[in-house]
Amino acid sequence: MKKQIPYWLVSPYLLYFAVFVAFPVAFSVVLTFHSWNIISPMTFVGLDNYRRLFSDRLFWQAIYNTLRFLLVHIPLQIVVALALAEFLNQKIRGQAFFRGAFFLPVIVSGVVVTILWQQLLGFNAGILNRGLTALSLPRVAWLEEPGIAMYAIALMATWKNVGLYVILFLVGLQTVPVQYYEAADMEGATAWQKFRYITLPMINPTIFMVVVLSTIGGFSLFIEPYIMTEGGPLNSTLSAVMYIYKQAFQYYHMGYSATLGFFFALLILGVVAIQKRYVEQEN
Amino acid sequence: MAEVKLVHVAKAYENGPRVIRDATITVQDREFLVLVGPSGCGKSTLLRMIAGLEDITDGDLLIDGKRMNDVPPKDRDIAMVFQNYALYPHMTVYENMAFGLKLAGLPKDDIRQRVSRAAHLLEIDALLNRKPKDMSGGQRQRVAIGRAIVRNPKVFLFDEPLSNLDAKLRVQTRIELQKLHRELNATIIYVTHDQVEAMTLGDRIVVLRDGDVVQQDTPINLYNQPATQFVAGFIGTPPMNFVPGRLSETGPLHFTSKGGQVQIDLSNSQPEARLQAHRGKPITFGIRAEHLSEQPPAARSVHEQALAVEAVENMGNETLVYCPIDTGQLIARLPAGYATTFGQPIRLFWNLDKAHFFDAQTGQAI
Ligand SMILES: Nc1ncnc2c1ncn2[C@@H]1O[C@H](COP(=O)(O)OP(=O)(O)O)[C@@H](O)[C@H]1O
Ligand SMILES: [Mg+2]
Repeated sequence: MKKQIPYWLVSPYLLYFAVFVAFPVAFSVVLTFHSWNIISPMTFVGLDNYRRLFSDRLFWQAIYNTLRFLLVHIPLQIVVALALAEFLNQKIRGQAFFRGAFFLPVIVSGVVVTILWQQLLGFNAGILNRGLTALSLPRVAWLEEPGIAMYAIALMATWKNVGLYVILFLVGLQTVPVQYYEAADMEGATAWQKFRYITLPMINPTIFMVVVLSTIGGFSLFIEPYIMTEGGPLNSTLSAVMYIYKQAFQYYHMGYSATLGFFFALLILGVVAIQKRYVEQEN
Repeated sequence: MAEVKLVHVAKAYENGPRVIRDATITVQDREFLVLVGPSGCGKSTLLRMIAGLEDITDGDLLIDGKRMNDVPPKDRDIAMVFQNYALYPHMTVYENMAFGLKLAGLPKDDIRQRVSRAAHLLEIDALLNRKPKDMSGGQRQRVAIGRAIVRNPKVFLFDEPLSNLDAKLRVQTRIELQKLHRELNATIIYVTHDQVEAMTLGDRIVVLRDGDVVQQDTPINLYNQPATQFVAGFIGTPPMNFVPGRLSETGPLHFTSKGGQVQIDLSNSQPEARLQAHRGKPITFGIRAEHLSEQPPAARSVHEQALAVEAVENMGNETLVYCPIDTGQLIARLPAGYATTFGQPIRLFWNLDKAHFFDAQTGQAI
């Protein structure tokens, strides 16, 4: 009897895990070998879904789009977050206000933020273009130009999420003992040298965490292009998750969508593993 | 040449009270000066003002006659060894020592030469490729000193550098610091709360208490002529014995302890003249443990009294005898091998020529 008690205690979580994690994962693995449109019964298709995946140009374009997004989003996120964290780490007036202000977009719904930015990025009346006009510069087709739209979205996603990473960096900065800076002051280090030779190496773990979190977060890019551009123009902002979503809930290719999702998860895992390898070598 | 001068220096942290009130100290060229005092008295604050890590609220800091209040730390030609060493954890010993030189833009060969010379001097040649976390406290401490040495500064500042070492290593490092001071030929300002460290290392000692300089002098003068009861109690092990009491108002000069157990005749004694002005007033009588003896000392005036024995500490080279009295306790330092039968009182001779007297209100020596 006594031996059973622990099992009873963990059973609520086990139940949750079974229903919402284990079962969906197992079910989607099963799905990858089937064709299924939700209504008619599943039919076994073997490796057909996988074969199709490798020749699906649109899927690879979506992966490529997502990587393009990450290439801008991650460095921008780190640089801006670190700069803001350094700024907020100084003794400045209104510190609490700024900390709150930068965090606000994080908790505002993504849909709201996206609609807001749609206005800001508008070609004719958007604030950004009005600013450019005021400076006698040509207007930019932020969301209408295939070569630009994804980067405009990266800019917006950075604005939305940066507050979270500012907090992480702030915590990281505050763990660096002040003595190191004082010792460096005695040796004549400039502000930049202190940042380069003391701060950066010492917050390395935080930088890695931010890289991983924003990689995972960036790979799941969906709301922004879905609302702002619907993947256009010319599929230039079609993200991988958005394509998987479309396969499932617009075309009802449940089996194929599961295959894409499965493959995509492995891809993310691979990228993070490489990042981890790289950081461990640095140390 | 490096003479460091503090002139009426005061310090208040942001909106706080003054933690250093009015310090005037001159550190001579190549002097080993020790700032000593209990924890929280402002030693680190004073040192950090000299280093330039804290602003000076009031007064002047002069190095070789030049006012340094507004000169950034790196231009003061000063190196500091921090209490917890502050070695950069991600750099090797070599990189730690070379860091400041690299920032200063010295040629690589020059840096290598300086680092290896300092490493040799401190016997840490074998550690140059280690990271701080792979070294013992004593080794880290050497590296921290090495980092200061390579820059060849005019003045070295040490903030309690031995406090993280175990007792044995502390004694050994103390001796090495003395040696180092001779070899470097530099001015050293050294902070500690340990009076033994202060006595053994300092050419001169500055005693601080609650942000005030109480006395500055050579170790031997501090020991023999403490300016206040605080200094008398702080310097020396065991601490000086104190007996609070009062001087007689009239008649022959006479000291009576608070409970009346100690009665000392001071007429015709050496301090008699000084004490006349304090007749009838409360004073504290002070005498060091070595000035209480079993045999009558060769002295002008001696007090003799039998006391009970509470405890005996046999140190091998000497014996400390603890005697309870009405106002507390007396410790006598007797020769080695002194044996007592407990319950038997001991006759002690008090060498009054060596006695100290303090104003009970102000603590000032009389
Ligand atoms: N950064 C600071 N801000 C405010 N008060 C401080 C600061 N540093 C030290 N103090 C205060 O100044 C006094 C002297 O401190 P410190 O110089 O560190 O003493 P010590 O080194 O002799 O132990 C203490 O009362 C301490 O609380
Ligand atoms: Mg201190």
